[in-house]
Amino acid sequence: MYALVVHALRTLLRLSLLLTLAGSLACSGSIDGPTGEPRDDDPLDPIDRLPEYAPGGPVLARLTGDQYRNTLVDLLGSPLPAFELEPDTAPYLFFHIGAASTTLSERGAQLYEEAAQKAVEAVLADAARRASVLGCEPTAPGDACLRSVVESFGRRAFRRPLSEAEISRWLDASTEAAEGDAGRATQLLLSAMLQAPSFLYRVEVGEADPANEGRRRYTSHEMAARLSYLLWNTTPDAELLAAADRNELVTDEGVFEHAARLLDDARARRATQQFFAQYLDLRRLDHVERDVARYPGWTETMTRSMRSEIELVVDDLVFRRDADVRELFGAPRTFVNAELAALYGIDAPGASDVAFVPYEFDASSPRAGVLTTGAFLAMNAHPTETSPTLRGKFVRERVLCQTVPPPPDNVNLDLSDPSGTPRTLRERLEQHRRNPECAACHADIDPPGMLFEHFDSVGVWREEEAGGPVDSSGDLDGVPLDDARDLAIVLAEDPRVPACMVKQLFRHASGRLEVASEARALRALTEHFEASGYRFRELLLTLATSEAFRTVAPVEPVGAEVEE
Amino acid sequence: MSAPKKPKGGREVEKGVLEKARSFPWGPGLKPLKRRTFLRGAVGGAAIGLALPTLDAMLGPSGAHADGTTAGPIFGVFFWANGLPWHAGMGGETAGVTYPDLWTPTATGAGFAPSELLMPLARHRVSVVTGLEPKTEVPPNPPGQSDGHMRGFMVAMTGDRIRPEGFDHPSHTLTALRPTLDQYVARHAEFYGDQPSRFRSVQIGISEARFHDYGHWNAISYNGPDSLNLPILRPTQLHDQLFSVPDDLVALGRRARMMDAVMDDARALQTQLGARDRARLDEHLTHLSEIQRRLDLAAATCETPARPVDSGDVTAKLDAMSELLAIALRCNLTRVFSLMLTSPATTHVFSNLGVTDGLHKTCHDGLWDRVRVTQAHQMELFARFLDVLAGTTEPTGTTLLDRCAIWGTSEYSEGWKHGTSEMPVVIAGGACGGLRTGVHAREPRGNLCKAQLTLLRSIGLSEASWGWNGGETSDVFGELLG
Repeated sequence: MYALVVHALRTLLRLSLLLTLAGSLACSGSIDGPTGEPRDDDPLDPIDRLPEYAPGGPVLARLTGDQYRNTLVDLLGSPLPAFELEPDTAPYLFFHIGAASTTLSERGAQLYEEAAQKAVEAVLADAARRASVLGCEPTAPGDACLRSVVESFGRRAFRRPLSEAEISRWLDASTEAAEGDAGRATQLLLSAMLQAPSFLYRVEVGEADPANEGRRRYTSHEMAARLSYLLWNTTPDAELLAAADRNELVTDEGVFEHAARLLDDARARRATQQFFAQYLDLRRLDHVERDVARYPGWTETMTRSMRSEIELVVDDLVFRRDADVRELFGAPRTFVNAELAALYGIDAPGASDVAFVPYEFDASSPRAGVLTTGAFLAMNAHPTETSPTLRGKFVRERVLCQTVPPPPDNVNLDLSDPSGTPRTLRERLEQHRRNPECAACHADIDPPGMLFEHFDSVGVWREEEAGGPVDSSGDLDGVPLDDARDLAIVLAEDPRVPACMVKQLFRHASGRLEVASEARALRALTEHFEASGYRFRELLLTLATSEAFRTVAPVEPVGAEVEE
Repeated sequence: MSAPKKPKGGREVEKGVLEKARSFPWGPGLKPLKRRTFLRGAVGGAAIGLALPTLDAMLGPSGAHADGTTAGPIFGVFFWANGLPWHAGMGGETAGVTYPDLWTPTATGAGFAPSELLMPLARHRVSVVTGLEPKTEVPPNPPGQSDGHMRGFMVAMTGDRIRPEGFDHPSHTLTALRPTLDQYVARHAEFYGDQPSRFRSVQIGISEARFHDYGHWNAISYNGPDSLNLPILRPTQLHDQLFSVPDDLVALGRRARMMDAVMDDARALQTQLGARDRARLDEHLTHLSEIQRRLDLAAATCETPARPVDSGDVTAKLDAMSELLAIALRCNLTRVFSLMLTSPATTHVFSNLGVTDGLHKTCHDGLWDRVRVTQAHQMELFARFLDVLAGTTEPTGTTLLDRCAIWGTSEYSEGWKHGTSEMPVVIAGGACGGLRTGVHAREPRGNLCKAQLTLLRSIGLSEASWGWNGGETSDVFGELLG
C-alpha cells in the first residue's frame, strides 16, 4: 500500500527534474559540517598546519534500541519476550548522535518501564535462569542475597561498581515497595534497575589525567563502556569489567589489548554492520517499493536481498579478507542470490532464493562497487524514474563528505513544457545547467549522477530511455567520465573517500559531530588508515586507542548559558 | 479606586482564570479516579483482578458530576501533508495556466457555502480562517529556512521559527524551538490544572511514509528542541498504550512506588552533567513522575475495546485509530491529541487514487489535477475522523466533537512552490461552547498566530499573546469564539 519513494533529500526534490531556480546560490562544495560549525580542513593540507589537538566535550548517550536489546540479552540471557521501544532517531545520519542529543519522550520512558517488567518477569519465572542471574535465592526483602544482587547485577547493569549509598538506596526502596515478599522485591529491584538512568544512559565525563596536566581522560569504567558499545554494540563482558576494576583501561597497552580482543569476536562483525548501514544510509531501503507492473523483476523480498548483498560485501571486505576497504566503491566482487542475479542479468551458479554466492563482475560489465548495486540505485531513485540528482548528491554528501547547500528561497518552479514531446531526464535536467542559479550547485551534483543513467529505478541495466539511447556521460569535478564503472575506478583512488569514512566513523563512535580542535586527530587517523593499506579493522583499532577516543573536555558548568 | 490595592502578578491572574473556568458550562475539569479510591470502594479489596467498573457507573446515571459538569474541552491537532492545490491567489500562476481556488469559500461569516475541498467537512460545520500566513521571521543563513517545509510548518505548529542549526545538513536535522500546540496545551496549568488525565496527550500517525528520518519529517509533536513525541503508528500499539491495564492493580501500585528509586538515580546522575544533558535528564524525570502517576491511576479505564487488527490501508487504519481515540476521550483517558494523517513532505503514494508517485514529488511535478484529487481525499479522511467524534455521544447528551477544539492544518499552503500565503486553517468542534461553528473568517495577509491564539482562548486559556520572532499577536478572531 505504501508504495514509497525513498524518503529522498528535500533539497534534491525541490531542485530536481523539471524545476528551475531563481536567486543566487553559492555552491562552494564545502566539507560537510552543520550550520555555524567550523568547516573542516582540506583533506590534502599538511597535518602540521592544523591546530593543536584539544578534545571535544562529553555527551550523555542513551543506549540505542539495538544496544538496549543486546545488553538485556547479555544481562539476562535469551530468549527474552518481545517488547517495543521508542524508535531511534539519526540526526546527522547516526543513531549514536540521536541517542546522545535527543530527549526521550514520555512514551519512550513508559516503554522502558514495561520492557523491563516483562523481561525480568520472564527470567525470574525460569528456575535455571533465575539462579544464574541472581546467584542466590532471596528469602526476605533486604536480605544478604538481595544485597549481593544489587551489588553484582548493579555493577553489570551500570557498568561500574555501586557506592555503598547506592546499594542501600536500591535495597531499601525494594524492601519498602515489596511489602514483605522476597520474590516481589527481586522483581521490583531488577526491573527498576533496568529502567534506571544509570543503566539507560552512559555517563562519561572523564577524570583528571595525572600524566598529562590540564587534560581529562575517560576513566577505566567509562572506557570499558566506550570500547564495548563501539566495537560490540553491547555492554562490557566480565573480562572487560574486571580490567576496568583493575584500572587497566587508562593505559595504551590496556586499551589496545582489549580493543584487539573485542575486534576478534563475532560481535564486532555485527557492530561493524551497524556502522556501515548508517554510513551508507541503508535504512532508506526499507521505504523502497516498486510497482511490479512497471518493474517485472521486482519482488517483496528484493530490498532485503539488496541489503544482504551490502552486508556480505562489508563482512567479506572488513573481516574475511581484511582488505583495502576502498574496494567498497571500486571492486567488481559482490554476493548475489537468485533474484539479484536476475536483476543484474548474470548467471550465478549455486545462487537460490536464500543462498548468496560470491560473484566477480568481469571487466566488460558495467558494474563495480556498491554504487552499482541495487541497494544504492533503488534507494536513490523515484518510484517511476531515476534521479541523477539524488544519486549525485549521495556521491557528494555520503562518499565525499561534501555539503550541498539548500536551494535559495522563493524559487521559481516553472514546469511548463509546451512541446509535449517526450524528453529524457538528461534533456530535462539541462535546465539546471542553463540557469546560472541552478548551475551553481547542480553543476556539482548532476554530472556524477548522470553516470548512473544506464541503471533504472530498481537498478536494472537499460539501453534506452524515452525512445532514445541512454547517454550516461558525466564528470566528477571536471574529469570527464563515461559511466558508473569509470566513477568506481576514480573513487577507489580518491583521497577524499577514506578521509570521509574516518570522519563518519568518528561521529558514529563519539555520538556527536567533530569540533575544529579535533581536526588534527582525525587527520592522524586518516594517515594511519592509509599506512595500514586502508584496512577498516585497523582503523577501528587505531580509533579505539587514539586520544580522540580517550580524552574529553571538562563538563560545561551549569548556568554557563544563562545570559541567553 | 478605594478598594485595597492588590499586588500585581500571579495571584490576580489566577483568580481571573478560576472565575473564567467557573463561568464555562463544563466546569473546571473532572477529578480522575485514584486507584486507591476504587480499591476502597471494592469490598475488602476482593474486587482486585475482576472486571473494572465503568466510569459511568461511578459518575452516576447521567455521567455528570454532582455539580453537573463534564470533563472539559478536548484539544486536538489534525495534520495533513502538502497543503492545497495551488492557485493564483497563492502565486501559483504559470505559463498562462490559471488554476482555480478550490478552498476559499466565496462568502464569509456564519453559514457560508462550502468550497469544493471543504465540502466533505461541511457536515461537521467546521470553521475556516483564510488569507493567513506566517509572520515569523527567519535568519537569512543558512538559506532555505523560509521554505514552507521549515517556516510554514513550524509557525503552523509552534508559532515560532525552526532552530537554524543543523537543518541544512544532509540529514535535515530539523527541530523546533518550543513545544507544538498540543504539548503547549497539555502542559498548560490552566488546561488540566492539577488533575491531568491519565495521559496528558496522545500522538497518532496514520501513513508511515516519510521524507527523512529525523525532525518533523516523521512527527509533528515536539516538547522543545530535539525532544519529539513520535506518533503511534499502529492500532494495536495505540490500543495497548491506552487500554492495556493488568488485572493486578496492587502490583501496579508497587511498581509506582519503586519509581521513586529510579527517580533518585536520575537526580544523583544530574549532578555530574552539563546544562544540556541535565535538561534532558530533567525531562526524563518529568516523564517518570507522569508514569508513576499513571500506574497509580490505572483503575480508571471505563471501557476496554477489543484489540484491533493492524492494517496497512490508510482508511482502515484511520477508522481503527479514530475509534480507539474516541473511546479514550470519552473515558477521559486524555484530553489532548494530535493526529498526523500524512507527515510533512510526505512520500506517500496514493495509489488508491491512481497517483503513481509520492505526494511531495507529485506536487513538484506540477500535476495539479492529481494534487486536487489527493487533497480532496485527505479532506474526506479528515471528515471521516470527525464522523467518529461526532458519532460518540456522552452521557450528558453532547458529542465528543462538541467538546473538541481541533486545529486542522498543513505545513504550507501549496506544495508546488512551497508557498505559505493563504495557509489552510480548519477549526473543528465546539470547544464546550467556546467556539462558534460553521464560520468563515477571512483576513488577507493576516497573521497565522492570530488563529492559534483564538483557538487557545476558546478552550479557556488566558494567553495574552501568541507568536514569536515577528509573529507576536494579541488579536483573536472574535467571530469564532462562542
